[in-house]
Amino acid sequence: MTAVSQTRALIAPGAARPRKDGRQQVPGLRRATATSWYHVAMIAATLVWLLPMIWMTSLALSDNAALAQETQFLIPRDFTLDNLLGVFSVGLTSRWFLNSAIVSILTTVVTVLLCAMAGYAFARIDFRGKAIVYGSVLAGLMIPKEAMFVPLFTMVADVQMHNTYAALILPRIAAPLGVFLMTQFFSQVPQEVEEAARIDGAGPWRTFFFIMLPLARPAMIALAIFTFVQTWNDYLWPLVSATRAEMFTITTGLASLQGNFAQATELGSLMARGLVGSLPLLIIFLLFQRHLIRGISMTSGGK
Amino acid sequence: MVTIQADRRVRTPRPRRNGKAGLRYGIAFIAPFVALYVVFVLVPVAQAVVMSVHDWDLLGATREFIGLDNYVRMLWGVDITWSMGHLFWWRMAILVLAAVLLVGPARRRRITLWRTAGLLALIAVAFALGFHPAETGFWFDPRFWTAMQNTLLFTAVSTPLIAGLGLAMALALQGGRRGVRWYQMAFFLPYILPVSVVTLIWTYFLSPNQGLLAALLEPLGIAPIPWLSNTDTAMIAIIATTVWWTVGFNLVLFAAGLQDVDASLYEAASLDGAGPWGKFVHVTLPGIRHVLLLVMVMQVIASFQVFGQVNIMTGGGPGSSTDVVIRHIYQTGFRDFELGYASAMSLVLFAIMLVVSVIQMKFLGKDATK
Repeated sequence: MTAVSQTRALIAPGAARPRKDGRQQVPGLRRATATSWYHVAMIAATLVWLLPMIWMTSLALSDNAALAQETQFLIPRDFTLDNLLGVFSVGLTSRWFLNSAIVSILTTVVTVLLCAMAGYAFARIDFRGKAIVYGSVLAGLMIPKEAMFVPLFTMVADVQMHNTYAALILPRIAAPLGVFLMTQFFSQVPQEVEEAARIDGAGPWRTFFFIMLPLARPAMIALAIFTFVQTWNDYLWPLVSATRAEMFTITTGLASLQGNFAQATELGSLMARGLVGSLPLLIIFLLFQRHLIRGISMTSGGK
Repeated sequence: MVTIQADRRVRTPRPRRNGKAGLRYGIAFIAPFVALYVVFVLVPVAQAVVMSVHDWDLLGATREFIGLDNYVRMLWGVDITWSMGHLFWWRMAILVLAAVLLVGPARRRRITLWRTAGLLALIAVAFALGFHPAETGFWFDPRFWTAMQNTLLFTAVSTPLIAGLGLAMALALQGGRRGVRWYQMAFFLPYILPVSVVTLIWTYFLSPNQGLLAALLEPLGIAPIPWLSNTDTAMIAIIATTVWWTVGFNLVLFAAGLQDVDASLYEAASLDGAGPWGKFVHVTLPGIRHVLLLVMVMQVIASFQVFGQVNIMTGGGPGSSTDVVIRHIYQTGFRDFELGYASAMSLVLFAIMLVVSVIQMKFLGKDATK
């Protein structure tokens, strides 16, 4: 696998890439027109692509009375913020939002920490049986998380842990992919770094927490964002495990509203809930999109 | 010998901790992860195997050992016969595929163990598809077959669509023009939405009387189509939704792959007088071969697990036109409370995905050794 080159890209993210456009340069004006046509075409394409989202936003900003008459427009009718402001005051949406936040943040923090620790050990500490353990962790990459929800449900039910945060968080932490990525990263760190720390008298824990973790920040951020988005969007396991309405996450909660036809009249507030439910992800996306995109390139285990 | 070893030791200092201390620290560092991994990833698989050979009820205490009855119920029926003519053209197509896969290596006289295994597997599938209920017979669980068929249809249609569109987008954004990053962000954006928000948008977007799509198609003289409540169009709607939602992910993979294609190859192709199409076929496609394969495999695995869109948008309907395997497992377990049978189906699905994963490892692993 060529995760090696990816990891190198992580260490030096700003490394310039040469232009791969083999096309000959068309001189002067013709080139300028070609470029502007390109941008016109691409802007049109992105607008068409995002049309459903733009429409959703416009419905969320429209008055519900106006929506009862007509919904097929892109400019908000009777512009109002009532739908957005009302999201948290009516129903359980605020509770679902809180649940999602708690579950996603805890899952992310613990996943990144445990994967970094395990990755460090697999990459930098020699101990007997390491190859076997690492091999069996990698084998876990082939176990699809959606397929094993039935036995997982039984196990959690046996200890009567359903409808708890622990049940939503713990099964999601053991991500072999995260360990794989962190192992790849740590095996790229030059030996001298660790050697220097050891000469300074730092033990493994100090070396890990004060030398290696700061070095691994880019990889950890990428893993964290990826984990957060995945956890926030998780649907099947929360649906199975959290059956009490007040333990729904925002993803399962919004799904539960859609089967309910009584809600259809309040289209504006339904769309506003969808918008608010995706808001943390939209913010993270805008702030960290480079990391997220790099994280996806990493997910492929290289090229 | 001794000097060489000593020399090597000097050149590559090994600060790695060895022996007892290494073991102690190694265990301390991996223990938290490994504990969770064993409990929540490995044990469930073992638990599934145990449950699948039991009549395991969700509520009652009936946990009776029934051997392979769950598997028989899933894969067999009453009065099942084998005939040459059943699904004849499909099976012929599979055999032709097997023959095509054999021709190349046979000419080069390089028939490996893997090829033989793949060949035998295809022939076995072609043979197995000959089984069907006789006129008086029936499958024990016809819904399993319907769901499997729908899942395969979903996979077969959505995978090339998503891979093709993702590649087309990545090509359109190739070349490092200004603003390209923004376009990529826009195409990627839907991927970060939760499934329930995607379905919320698309259920209304496709709605014949409220949806925007109907309004957009009206000037073209197309009457509103009840996409989700028509058995012929429901799967199309699910696939369209999925493509919109996930294509951005593959766009990013393709974009990364395209950046790794050697630029000098394009120049060489230009010198040879290759046009854009020639460059695409002879430089781009070979250059991103492994990304293409990876995208296909990841899509196939993801498609086999399709659930959210279907469960929220159509509930498997209308009729059973969008019923899929995970939904069947979900309902068997949590509506009918038959966890043993649900586990058996999970394992069969897992086995299918394992085959896909092994193929992936096989192909990608081969690339890595180059």
